[in-house]
Amino acid sequence: MNHIFRKLQVTFPQQASILNQSLCRATPSIQHPVWCTAAINERQYRDMPTHGIGRWRHLLLKQAPKKKKDRNQQKELVSATDTAYGTLNVTVSGYDMTVVEHYSQYIHNFCNRLNIKVAESYALPTKSTEVLLMQEQGNKTYVDAVLKTHRRVVQLSSLNASLCPVFMDVILKNQPEGVQLSVQEHTEADYQTRFKARPELEGLVAQINH
Amino acid sequence: MAAPCRKMASRSFSQLLCYFSRTAVGSGACRRFSVTSIDRATPRASTAADRATSPWSLMAAVCLQRLPVITADCSPIEQRFKQMLQQMELEKSMLSDHELRLMEDAERMSRRQADDYDSDEDLGDQEIMMTQDLEDSWEQRLKNFQPAPRVRADIDEDLTSVQRCLADSLVLLAEQQVGAEKLWLLPQAAWQEGETLRQTAERALNSVTAAGVKATFLGNAPCGVYKYKLPKAARTENSVGVKVFFFKAILADGTPGSAPTASLLWLKKGELQKYLKPAYMMNVGRFILNL
Repeated sequence: MNHIFRKLQVTFPQQASILNQSLCRATPSIQHPVWCTAAINERQYRDMPTHGIGRWRHLLLKQAPKKKKDRNQQKELVSATDTAYGTLNVTVSGYDMTVVEHYSQYIHNFCNRLNIKVAESYALPTKSTEVLLMQEQGNKTYVDAVLKTHRRVVQLSSLNASLCPVFMDVILKNQPEGVQLSVQEHTEADYQTRFKARPELEGLVAQINH
Repeated sequence: MAAPCRKMASRSFSQLLCYFSRTAVGSGACRRFSVTSIDRATPRASTAADRATSPWSLMAAVCLQRLPVITADCSPIEQRFKQMLQQMELEKSMLSDHELRLMEDAERMSRRQADDYDSDEDLGDQEIMMTQDLEDSWEQRLKNFQPAPRVRADIDEDLTSVQRCLADSLVLLAEQQVGAEKLWLLPQAAWQEGETLRQTAERALNSVTAAGVKATFLGNAPCGVYKYKLPKAARTENSVGVKVFFFKAILADGTPGSAPTASLLWLKKGELQKYLKPAYMMNVGRFILNL
């Protein structure tokens, strides 16, 4: 049934077109269904009125090509104004990683809900603390436990001063047990501590300077 | 209303360094708190021309809260859900190092007890302490540990104690003379020339509590306002009523040990209704969170 309809559709342009070429090209399509006409590389319908009907990419504005280096640049520090605090770091730290992560996610979602702009949300390296206990008989200490302190930071780009008490109150009331919360200003030094030290580079720089 | 608003807007706000920690209950009833304020600009005196005379006199009040020290108990549904989740996690989890060592030790013991035991097979040095003994010593230490009781009924009944109801957040209420009568309300003080409203609130707190109480104010902006008109008899040309601005503060881990004056109460949000006037309660209840 379908191919009968297709034949009918194809015959309309055939009647409308004047060129013989199109007639010749159109005729094979009557015998065969439209979708297996010829090889894919052969542009068959360049003279068809509907040629290029699906093109849309030429309508978009030209985008500047994306630079790959942008990802690790430091975001600008917002300075405090009369009615808003500047860039703030909300640090959540604790021994239990799931609780710390969930709490930092809660803070992030809460900021989104209150339309507070979150500049960044990252983790600082984990610090391991070994707890050494003295043995009951003798002076030697033995390793009792290894405690890992996890830290997560949610960086807010600016906080409205009128919103601050509400924000702090809710966060404090929802603070889980075993988790420390700290709200501080973000400084350049804080940003630099996130990078690993590069001893070879520092050695070379020292050699150049001497 | 012109003068104080303009002053607040023109001053740069103090930067706060706050550190809050919530750890196991030691001897103190409050969370450990430390605040360092970095920068505080001096207030700029407003000229006399700025101030328009307004018939409303201003006061600032402080809503001092003591945050919960221990977690609240779970409701029955929460308990069942918690147990179910713990069971699921246990079933999905992998064996820890300690459990693996226990299994290896048990296997080694059973191999040694078998008839065809060859002592040359036993590779590696013998551990002086078997893993099971370690576990037993840990169990013993746990039994020796006595945690403090979570709920102490006698302290909970005492409304003036700051250590009551450790699982809820409490608000400080003071009995103050307002006009002709003594009312229970959040500690307040009248605003004076040359100070910010927040400083007024701090003054209100210091006047009502003992000297050792340390509180952190959560910001320079008020969280609520309540205005009331004076009774018709007391109204004059210059004073129609009073506007009270509320500031939130959190009790730090100072020693509130020095005996507070008898007219202070620490109340949960649900208990406030018995002591506050209805209109005041409606206003104040809007910014006190019941979390």
